[in-house]
Amino acid sequence: MAMNLTRRKFLQSASLAAAAVPLSRVAPVQASLVKGQFAAPGSFAQTKTVTGGVCEMCFWRCQLVGKVRDNRLVKLEGNPKSIENGKSICARGNAGIQLLYDPDRLKYPLKNVGKRGAPKWKRISWEEALDESAERLQAIQKKYGPHSVALFPHGASAFYPLQYFEFTGTPNISEASFYQCRGVRDMAYMSTFGFPPGENVDMANAKAILLIGSHLGENVHVSHLKQYLKGLENGAKLIVLDPRFSAAASKADIWVAIKPGTDTAFLQAVMTRLITTGRYDKEFVAKSCTGFSELKESLTHATPEWAATICDVPKEQILEVADLLGVSLPNVSVHPGRHTTWYGTDFQRVRAQACLSAILGAYAVPGGMIRPKGMKLGTKSWGHGVFAEDCDLSTFWPFHPPGTPTDAIREATLTGKPYPIKAWVAWGQNPIQTIPDQARTIEALQKVDFVLVTDVMPMDITMYADILLPEKSYLERYDYVKTGMQWNPADKPQQFVAARMPLVEPMFERKDSVWIINELAKRMGYADKIPVKSIEEHVDIRLAEAKLSIAALKKMDGIYLQDGKSPYAPAGQRAFEFETDSGLVELYSEQTADNNFSGTPNYIATEEVPAGFARLLYGRSPVHSFSRTQNNRWLHHEMPENPLWVNDQVAGKMGLKNGDRVMLVNQDGAKSRNSTVVKVTPGIRKDAVYLAHGFGSMNPELSIGNGQGIDDQALITKFGIDPETGTTGMRTNFVKIIKDGRILEMPV
Amino acid sequence: MKQYGMVIDLEKCIGCHACAVACKAEWDVPADQGRNWLKRLGPSNTPHGLASTYYPGLCNHCDQPACVEVCPADPVTRIFKDSVSGTQKSMEVAATWKDPFDGTVQIDKDRCLGCGACAEACPYQARYVNPDLGEDGKADKCTFCVERLAAGLEPACVQTCLAEARIFGDLNDPKSAVAKYVKNGAIKMESAAVKIGPNVRYFGNKRDIHLLQESSTPQVMPEASLRRVLLARISRPLINKTKKMSIFDLA
Repeated sequence: MAMNLTRRKFLQSASLAAAAVPLSRVAPVQASLVKGQFAAPGSFAQTKTVTGGVCEMCFWRCQLVGKVRDNRLVKLEGNPKSIENGKSICARGNAGIQLLYDPDRLKYPLKNVGKRGAPKWKRISWEEALDESAERLQAIQKKYGPHSVALFPHGASAFYPLQYFEFTGTPNISEASFYQCRGVRDMAYMSTFGFPPGENVDMANAKAILLIGSHLGENVHVSHLKQYLKGLENGAKLIVLDPRFSAAASKADIWVAIKPGTDTAFLQAVMTRLITTGRYDKEFVAKSCTGFSELKESLTHATPEWAATICDVPKEQILEVADLLGVSLPNVSVHPGRHTTWYGTDFQRVRAQACLSAILGAYAVPGGMIRPKGMKLGTKSWGHGVFAEDCDLSTFWPFHPPGTPTDAIREATLTGKPYPIKAWVAWGQNPIQTIPDQARTIEALQKVDFVLVTDVMPMDITMYADILLPEKSYLERYDYVKTGMQWNPADKPQQFVAARMPLVEPMFERKDSVWIINELAKRMGYADKIPVKSIEEHVDIRLAEAKLSIAALKKMDGIYLQDGKSPYAPAGQRAFEFETDSGLVELYSEQTADNNFSGTPNYIATEEVPAGFARLLYGRSPVHSFSRTQNNRWLHHEMPENPLWVNDQVAGKMGLKNGDRVMLVNQDGAKSRNSTVVKVTPGIRKDAVYLAHGFGSMNPELSIGNGQGIDDQALITKFGIDPETGTTGMRTNFVKIIKDGRILEMPV
Repeated sequence: MKQYGMVIDLEKCIGCHACAVACKAEWDVPADQGRNWLKRLGPSNTPHGLASTYYPGLCNHCDQPACVEVCPADPVTRIFKDSVSGTQKSMEVAATWKDPFDGTVQIDKDRCLGCGACAEACPYQARYVNPDLGEDGKADKCTFCVERLAAGLEPACVQTCLAEARIFGDLNDPKSAVAKYVKNGAIKMESAAVKIGPNVRYFGNKRDIHLLQESSTPQVMPEASLRRVLLARISRPLINKTKKMSIFDLA
């Protein structure tokens, strides 16, 4: 019978006619729908729609619904009720079910009976895991003081642990999202505008958008990209500063192929041009800013000619950018950026961005910086920690973001100075790939007396755990409550509240962070201080302030909506009060100057690329959230490794071709563990190469993600510490390419 | 008659891959395969300047689908019904066909042999054999989500697209958004050798379209396809003849 014909047999068969046995059968069908035993049913058939999901494949937190069939989540979709992401979610959001059901996920509490870095896991009970963790943490805190415990948290589930460890008396908490990402941005805007800007810039209604090294499109935050695309659709002119022809550059009206590390000089020259041509918002500057004359004075040397040489771009392009911004004011989006820890001179650059926004008057107007007003939530958590005198390692950096600079913690761990740090706790963060100088991080991990790690997946860091705890994923737990407004600020003002709710029941022995911390607290002698009995209680307390509850939200399809307020000031209002010392936007920051830093934005040159090397630039992939998603089978399929961008002329001289497999070695001799493919392109400067960050995990327990692509962090041995904030600049390393075992010189 | 089609607006597309992943979830597509896909193109030089864009691809539901002709499954008479007018039409089809009412190309997996001839025949590589289905696997590809359409939903890739870069509709309806895009110059990915009437169109600026065409438009019809089409053309009359003789009735 024909039905038994296999693919192999068919391909072997010489005569097709012989295979075609006629059947005088009529297949009864309606329209083009085909149903049958082999047809996939689709997510909409025989499924239940569960609402209340809030995504955490990245940290933008889109609102979700789940399609559940036979207690199994088959698909995630945007919650149609969402006024933020709506029915859309990104690739990572769509791939959430592959995290949920990843067979490599952590299932039970584990104890490392091997070595740190080469673990042998023994399954233990929660009782045993908690007893041992509590005992060891307590012993360390007793002997060396409560500040001898350091915490590296990330994500919503780490809030409660963060507050707990702080409560127990340690200030040594370092969030990668601050110290290796956006902390410097928030602090620089704080000292200019008096508030952290987030990414709240109204691109949707701008006449011009200025992106400085931004990876919009390569980092996908749904509502943010909707704003960006709406702006472009509405005719906004897009200016992109990037050494690379990035996703954003490909949509730009002006691509400035700027030399890495020189953005501040560019921004200064743009301000010079705006001021000398009188194209700045004089009224906003007069009524809402202070320090304009100091700013103007500080720019005397910052001519477009001066910057053109430094930035390696034509002077005319600087003028063109400035003039375009000038004619578009005040409806200009100077994007504050997100990952802004680049060179260790970043506070000054971001201050320059903030000052540029200010002189353009781009505040509380369509296109400008806006301050969305979300609904107020309640709070109940661990009380404030009491720190021992002189245990704060962050005082050296007057403008440091919350917590303690990462390097200060690591150095104290390694040197014992000014005091020893003896336990590292990682909660949802993978410090091996977030913190520069990986070897030193590993050395610190080997040195401490105890390492406790809680995560969802095996990561590089979990290999170093003594006790490893499995956490519920964002699809199986309550925790985060998101508030916000409609994605397009020009639309009818609305506010929303969405609490993360589980879409499916947890499996195995995974627990949520409130349960874990409370159990730990009981064992560490804080039973009477526990603020909430469960995560549900915590969420309900938060919601109660907004007269909501989990039960109420469930009846509202997971999202509460109410009328909001326009983020724009009444037309014509140019005088505003800010939460700075002066109550004004501080173009000259006295506070900064008082701490012996430049009070006006100041260009500080970064180290030049040494002969024979190229600068290592790193960035984002739209389908991965750093190392977190590397084992996701769907996302891995979309981008299995991180091609190395090499300039086409450079590649030509080196004899490199598209698809060649290469490794990298840096200025300190640090080599990549893995190889990747070369991508030859005219879309990158000759003095730099580029990789997406987060690849090349070293954990063999990741059956898909292990060793795929190059881990850029293994090559970031040198880093600049921003003197104002203590954040770590990481675009400070230089590499050579290794092909077939040979180290190739990078031609100048 | 309708001709469903899709336009992908590359001016809007930001290459996030959500389309490809949403489809996987919707239709239980094996991890290493795709009913649709996204390829990142460039940055490359074009006569119109430096370009970087995306190739979000899927089955083109072609006017002359190369995949349909090569299907070796036994022909059956299939009754098609227009979902709007209720008109019925019967056609002799193998395990895959082009729907006479909506222009989509569909597969009856129950009758598919899993031989992969159709996958090899498609110059766009829009088909694959899902090895998890049946003993020998089953051919699979984009259906334009006709099943979702019937339930009043959008195609899964269209629904998830944050950029609203995927526009779906009836190309034969001049008032449809897709027809308007075509009027405005949305292109087919066709070459001199591959002209089978794809019904997925791409809209974009000159440099992006140039890059897309140059890097991704198929330049040759798969050889396997040509050979099999020829064989099929020879054998089809023979099959019909045999059937009329009613020698075999193995049903």
